[in-house]
Amino acid sequence: MKSLLRLIPFLHPYRYKVLTGFIGFFVARLFEATAFLLVAAGIDAIDLLGRTGETVSGRSVGVIALGIVLTVLGRFGVVIYARIVLRRIGIAVAFDLRQKLYASVQRQGSQFFGRISVGDIMTRAIQDISLIQRLLSFGLILLVIMVYAPVIAVVVMFYKSATLAWFILPGLPIIFVYCWYMAQQLAVTSLAVQQRLSDLSSHTQENLSGIRTVQAMVQEDNEIARFLKTNSAYADAFYAQARINSLMVAWMPLFAQVCQLAILVVGGMQVMDGQITIGDLFVFFYFLNMLLQPIRMAGFMVTLVQRAAVATNRLYEIFDAEPEIPDCPSGETPAEIRGKFELRHLSYTYPGTDKPVLKDISLTIEAGESFAIVGRIGSGKSTLLKHFTRLVDTAPSQLYLDGYDVRDYPLSQLRIQIAQVLQDPFLFGEPLRNNISYDNPDREVEHIWDSADAAAMRGTIEDFPQQLDTLVGERGVTLSGGQKQRTALARGLIRNEPVLILDDCFSSVDTETEEHILRRLKEMRRNKTTIIVSHRISTLRHADRILVLEEGAVAELGTHQELVALNGIYAELERLQTQGYIDHPDQSEEMELDPV
Amino acid sequence: MNTSNTLSSADSNPPQRDHSMFDAELSGAVLNMQLLGRLMGWLRPYSLSLFISAILVLLASCAVVIMEVVISRVLVDYIIGGEASSIMPDLGMIEFTIMVQEWFGIEPIYAAGLIFGILMILYAVTGHVHRLTLISSIVRGLRDLRQDLFSHMEMRPSSFFDRVPVGRIMTRVTNDIEALYEMLRGMGGLIGEFVPFLVALTIMLFTSVKLTLILLLLVPVVGIATFFFRRASREVFRLVRNTVSALNQNLQENLSGMQVVQLSQREEKNLAIYTEINKRNRRYEYKSINLATFYGAFNDSLASIGLGIIIWYGGGEIVQDTMTLGGVILFTRFMNMLFTPVVMLGEQLNVLFRAMASGERIFQALDWDEQIHEPEHPVKLPEKIAGKVEFRKVNFGYRPDQPILKNVSVCIRAGEKLAIVGPTGSGKSTMIRLLGRVYDFGRGQIFLDDVDLNDLPSREVRKRIGVVLQDFHIFSGTIHDNIALGDPAVTRERAISASKTVNAHGFISELPEGYDTELVERGANLSQGQRQLLAFARVLAADPEILVLDEATASIDTETELLIQDGLRKLMIGRTSILIAHRLQTIQEADRILVLRDGVVEELGTHAELLANKGLYHTLHESQFQDA
Repeated sequence: MKSLLRLIPFLHPYRYKVLTGFIGFFVARLFEATAFLLVAAGIDAIDLLGRTGETVSGRSVGVIALGIVLTVLGRFGVVIYARIVLRRIGIAVAFDLRQKLYASVQRQGSQFFGRISVGDIMTRAIQDISLIQRLLSFGLILLVIMVYAPVIAVVVMFYKSATLAWFILPGLPIIFVYCWYMAQQLAVTSLAVQQRLSDLSSHTQENLSGIRTVQAMVQEDNEIARFLKTNSAYADAFYAQARINSLMVAWMPLFAQVCQLAILVVGGMQVMDGQITIGDLFVFFYFLNMLLQPIRMAGFMVTLVQRAAVATNRLYEIFDAEPEIPDCPSGETPAEIRGKFELRHLSYTYPGTDKPVLKDISLTIEAGESFAIVGRIGSGKSTLLKHFTRLVDTAPSQLYLDGYDVRDYPLSQLRIQIAQVLQDPFLFGEPLRNNISYDNPDREVEHIWDSADAAAMRGTIEDFPQQLDTLVGERGVTLSGGQKQRTALARGLIRNEPVLILDDCFSSVDTETEEHILRRLKEMRRNKTTIIVSHRISTLRHADRILVLEEGAVAELGTHQELVALNGIYAELERLQTQGYIDHPDQSEEMELDPV
Repeated sequence: MNTSNTLSSADSNPPQRDHSMFDAELSGAVLNMQLLGRLMGWLRPYSLSLFISAILVLLASCAVVIMEVVISRVLVDYIIGGEASSIMPDLGMIEFTIMVQEWFGIEPIYAAGLIFGILMILYAVTGHVHRLTLISSIVRGLRDLRQDLFSHMEMRPSSFFDRVPVGRIMTRVTNDIEALYEMLRGMGGLIGEFVPFLVALTIMLFTSVKLTLILLLLVPVVGIATFFFRRASREVFRLVRNTVSALNQNLQENLSGMQVVQLSQREEKNLAIYTEINKRNRRYEYKSINLATFYGAFNDSLASIGLGIIIWYGGGEIVQDTMTLGGVILFTRFMNMLFTPVVMLGEQLNVLFRAMASGERIFQALDWDEQIHEPEHPVKLPEKIAGKVEFRKVNFGYRPDQPILKNVSVCIRAGEKLAIVGPTGSGKSTMIRLLGRVYDFGRGQIFLDDVDLNDLPSREVRKRIGVVLQDFHIFSGTIHDNIALGDPAVTRERAISASKTVNAHGFISELPEGYDTELVERGANLSQGQRQLLAFARVLAADPEILVLDEATASIDTETELLIQDGLRKLMIGRTSILIAHRLQTIQEADRILVLRDGVVEELGTHAELLANKGLYHTLHESQFQDA
């Protein structure tokens, strides 16, 4: 509950709207009560007419009927206003929460995304925000109903007949507790249904993704039997939920009818004794509904409040996260980077772990040098590269760029003037044009073609009917692993910055294509720093110097010839590879020719 | 032995299908009776339970209507007003009250209370059981439909799955079935509202035809309002849904590519794009709120205005003694019941519309009869076959105008190791796909121990041929599950011994729970190399006579690479092996090498022979060493 208070800053801009909405609702409730009282007065008037043929002046059925219509029209206007004002607040807050979430995640680094997965953030953005939206949209309205309805109803009931009121009111807390209890039960079973449904989806998804394996191993019958279990589990959970829901649907009217029974017997006797009129009797029937309606919803409300409180906490976990990489430029660094990196005893351990990934690395990469890095998986290559663009938080005085600590540069400058192509060739679901020219969508088209050519992607793009406008991703063309890598490479090459960093970007590219790319790279990067990570000797050998990383430390460093002569790790690698591989084809063959 | 059959001697490839059809070529009909009738087929096994449900809803409806009669006619007219008989219908309740009163010797008011109490319990119980029987029939019927759909999809050939994205099939198995549930449940609910409506209407007509007709004039007003509201809100809801999914997609993509975003300094621009979508979403949400609020308040008000009419009209009638006070009250109590069915019908129309589209998609999938050729008179293979494989003038293309394999002929002796090499797109994978009966082919024949492949059931062929594809699939479940794949013949001992042979035992026994370790998300907790070894163990445990392997090309560290090479060597012992090879070592160890170029067998021979040939193989071989 306390965590819901954290929503107050989000509600603050709308405080006057909340207030007018509340007032509007109160007026609407008064109109509603008046209408019911008028109907009751009408019944009494008709009763009188029927028994005596007389009419109390000013209380003829015509006047009363007109009064009812006018009251209803009055309520119509007010209630629309109040409802719209209050229900919009939930939407407005959801809007603000989304903005805040988006801006918050953009400041975060790999540590944050290691802690909270993309799927998890998506769940928070979709489900948690919509829970809060629902809480506010319905909750604010329910809150006023829950306050106004009992007050008005109780006042009217006691005014009409205190005895009858005492017969009904004590039962209400019981109804409330029951509703609350059932809502809890329902929440539990709903969760189970959600769980079973997601099992069903992931089971189907997994099976269909692996259908070739299933069929190749002739496992169809087993899989169908396995699916029956998941399928039935979902059906069972669903039925269990429906049962509880139906019980609730059955009990609520029953409670209301018990109250009606009391009105019928006790109220009926009072009418016969002349203590109340028939109209008064029906006032009780009407106001009973007014009382029960919020109680019915209150049960759900309790669950909604609980879940929204959890949701708020989960959102604040994201809002509260500090940016991992502090951005405090000293203001003394040069505006143009030349590209000389000095590593002075650079060490790094990922926060929350105790095994150092980089151990005391000292070396200098000269401006304009082409520098290659090789090492086993987990030797720290990618982590090392992340220091250059500060994707990880480098400790002070360990990495210098053109003579200044990298921490003294503005983060944006580092990331603009150092182009880095990551190992995972991530593409956006947009046209190829936008993917290649991602940092600056307004580039000349020749420029884009040129970088596509340098990344050996030109031919592929020309084969697509829509060329650069070809949409990639789920809604467009599915690119092969090699094509994705080359597109991501083009995205890095187009930037032509003083420093270019390539993290194992040719692993799915065949040897011939690799040759082409390396040749173009040599032309484009003349006198500019290029740092490249690769497993392949055919790539490494072109570099001015090669660093062999072993368990986060420098194992070997030198030119290709020097390292071969050294007869160490690099030489062994060279021997294995030149005898081990004949080609490096793309992942898929025929399907790639078929960009449907 | 070579029985020819129509398919293999046919002069063309199998007929081409337009798989884009699978993406919802929908009629757009709001009510497709044929579809509904077909759907009922799945509910038929539960028709008894549906019948009971229908009887119960009738009982419940009567109970709820009679309760109102007890209040207005018995209480107001008989007990309070003292009129034992009148022209107004009371469904015999006044008489019944008098009977109860005499049986138990109690005051009339208690008799009325007793009847009311019994009715309310009857209503609660019949209503509850009605809902249970209804939901249970629907849930079970749809479970069966889903099962049938899944089974049907499971048996479609690769040509189907190559063209139809998994997501589209997923939608049918999950969301579309859910939409049918909504519809069937809604129909059930609608009946639950219509029956009391009709009962109440009948009583009202008997009470006062004129007043009933006046009130009924309001119903079309609600109907028209409902129509316009639904039409407007369908459009708004669509816009809301579109913007919500655009929001989610944008965020998802931004999150997945966050490092690229940050490295390209696109944060502000992306936020601006997102804000734009977010604003659009808010605008449409506001619109939908406006519509819903207006419509809700309109209906409420109309019902209340109806009350005014009843009072005004009732006053006139009572003077002429054509209506009792109880009759007037009865009308005020039934007022709400008049509108509910119309409002609900409006709600149901949207559901119905969605469900029709879903139903069409589901039945389209069930009717999708694409399948691999199966022989009419299958030849039975002996328990153990030698493993000779022959391709004879095989021609194939995924599209008629794009031949991939052209007259491919090769005979692989039992126990031979054949390596297939060739540039990307030369048709290597296609060759092994045809062998594994993944695709039908037109001209040419493939023989397995001299039996035409087309004379064998496809599953029989797959049992004999163990295929390790590049993208072999890891299932969630334990390591053991992934090796045994549901085959009870694969015991733990057999799984362990297979793993030991292919060098997988080492890493498996280092896992926290060994063979019982649960693999998360398709083996994400295993490295690429470990997954490869696991796939080897899986094939070895199944012990097929012929091994077909598409060697992995992904970068794997050199140490694991050596384990894989060694595992593969052991896997091939005693098996005819056909390998799409990328590593020189694998190629050199093969008995013969087949060089494919553009779907044509360019060269075939041993490593030494082909090198001596100075052909394509020589070039491929040299290209690796050119500047060494």
